[in-house]
Amino acid sequence: MKYLVQSMIKTIPVLLLITLIVFLLIRVTGDPVSLMLPETATEEERDSLRESMGLNEPLPIQYFSYLGDLVTGDFGDSFRYNTDALSLVLERLPATFELAIASMIVAIIISVPLGILSAVKRNSFFDLFITGGAVLGKAMPNFWLGIMLILFLSVTFQIFPVSGRGTLGHLVLPAITLGTGIAAEMTRLIRSSMLEILEQDFIRTARSKGLRESIIVNKHAFRNALIPVVTIMALQTATLVGGTLITETVFAWPGLGQLLVQSVNLRDMAVVQAATFIIAIFVILSNLLADLIYRFLDPRIKYE
Amino acid sequence: MSNELLKVDDLKVRFKTDEGYVSTVNGVSFSVEQGETLAIVGESGSGKSVTSLALMGILPANGEIYEGAITFEDKDLRSLSKKEYRKMRGDDIAMIFQEPMTALNPVFTIGYQLRETLIVHNNMNKEQAHKKGIEMLETVGIPDSDRVMGRFPHQLSGGMRQRVMIAMALSCNPKLLIADEPTTALDVTIQAQILTLLRNLKKNSNTSIIIITHDLGVVAELADRVVVMYAGEVVEVAPIQELFDNPRHPYTRGLISSIPKIHDVVDELYSIEGTVPNPSNMPTGCKFHPRCPLADIECTKVHPELEYISEKHAKRCIKVKG
Repeated sequence: MKYLVQSMIKTIPVLLLITLIVFLLIRVTGDPVSLMLPETATEEERDSLRESMGLNEPLPIQYFSYLGDLVTGDFGDSFRYNTDALSLVLERLPATFELAIASMIVAIIISVPLGILSAVKRNSFFDLFITGGAVLGKAMPNFWLGIMLILFLSVTFQIFPVSGRGTLGHLVLPAITLGTGIAAEMTRLIRSSMLEILEQDFIRTARSKGLRESIIVNKHAFRNALIPVVTIMALQTATLVGGTLITETVFAWPGLGQLLVQSVNLRDMAVVQAATFIIAIFVILSNLLADLIYRFLDPRIKYE
Repeated sequence: MSNELLKVDDLKVRFKTDEGYVSTVNGVSFSVEQGETLAIVGESGSGKSVTSLALMGILPANGEIYEGAITFEDKDLRSLSKKEYRKMRGDDIAMIFQEPMTALNPVFTIGYQLRETLIVHNNMNKEQAHKKGIEMLETVGIPDSDRVMGRFPHQLSGGMRQRVMIAMALSCNPKLLIADEPTTALDVTIQAQILTLLRNLKKNSNTSIIIITHDLGVVAELADRVVVMYAGEVVEVAPIQELFDNPRHPYTRGLISSIPKIHDVVDELYSIEGTVPNPSNMPTGCKFHPRCPLADIECTKVHPELEYISEKHAKRCIKVKG
């Protein structure tokens, strides 16, 4: 518990730094006013709009007033939608979560058995096939896989809907699209981690005890092999929350990634700031979760 | 012999490597009687550990027995199915290893690892196994055994972990215990405690022990009979007293001379010149000849047979007579 509180406190400077970087980047990439007004607008009109948005103030003052609002939970309003930026972001979160979790489940279902099997049957034809498949899975671009899945499973065989969000059926193809790449990476990692663990002395001990091979592999070895895998899972989950723009675009999935890119293009500052802030929080949370899982998996790790 | 528990006959083990098969155990034969403690002695690379793994049926994936027979209580172990062999491991034949620091699984409690064997072999439920586990820890001299059951391996010292390993190995009352260098990785004081533990086991039960070691001190403490191995072969077999009093093979003599003696003041300790040959590049003739003080041209050509010079004493050397 003490560890949790300490970790929370440590995240504050990280979050502050993120707000500063995003704040500056979005301001150096261009002026939102030029996108909001027609090209024929006069300089006076532009200035007055800037003034009404508070963009005429010096940057430090703008930043601190942004921070001041942020503390009260006010991320400002979207220029484009004229609504509260935070609620725009939060609106997109369920869709993003849904896809992130589903993709992770797909990745786990694929990678855990394949990774273990290919380690146990190392250098066999099966192992070669799986390791080769993993390279392919990693190299395959998401948009291409997504389009192929749509072509075969939605257009030709009409099993799943083409795009959009709503039923469980809508979730299947985007989750497979995103899950495949992650599964490929995790399969390789589980394989190499298992290979290392299977060479350990305690596996020999487990064999000498007369345990069944399935218990040795799935319990004694896998529990140890999982520790490095959890790191990658945490990082991947964070990535899934942060942005899966291509897949979201292919499947017209109303997630956070789409909103973020739209907002960057429109220089919708408040939304960009709110979205990155929320994503940053989830990245930090998933890493914290990974730390907690480590502790559960490996009793040697203690946080003080 | 009616009370023979284990008989190893002409055992040959090879490993598949990138350069083809490499044979590390080349026709090893010995037997263990009920209640007997047999020491297998040799330098690293002599094939003694591989022999023990072969007996347990837990050779690494690239290793295999390609010739010979292992008979345990009239059962031919090589003809057992995987399942039958597995059921014997940890039950009839148990093993303890050299490295107590790494031989226990770091992510499971001591209790879990102790119970596991009991549940698998003795059909116990969790509570019964837990009780028996505590009892076993007490037997091997672990204080506060109730609490140790809930500990993880990293919370125990090396000596404690080796005791846990012994408790685990003994929990199903094995007929044969194979101890592979059980004291090598431990401090001297702890070594003595572990040896005492093994000696008590020997005294108080009918368990046969095979102790594998390079340490003749350990041999003298425990063994009834000694098998000396060199380069994957048995070079001498003798009862303990006979071996120390009248070693026949030059290698055995070298090993015994290498033991420092407290009353002799010497400038330099004796050691056998050279190292154990690489299994993929064995010398012709007698495998020991490049290091042997007695070797002549004949030794480079003739591979000596293991020859019995008395009922219980055998040596593999053509130079030493009788």
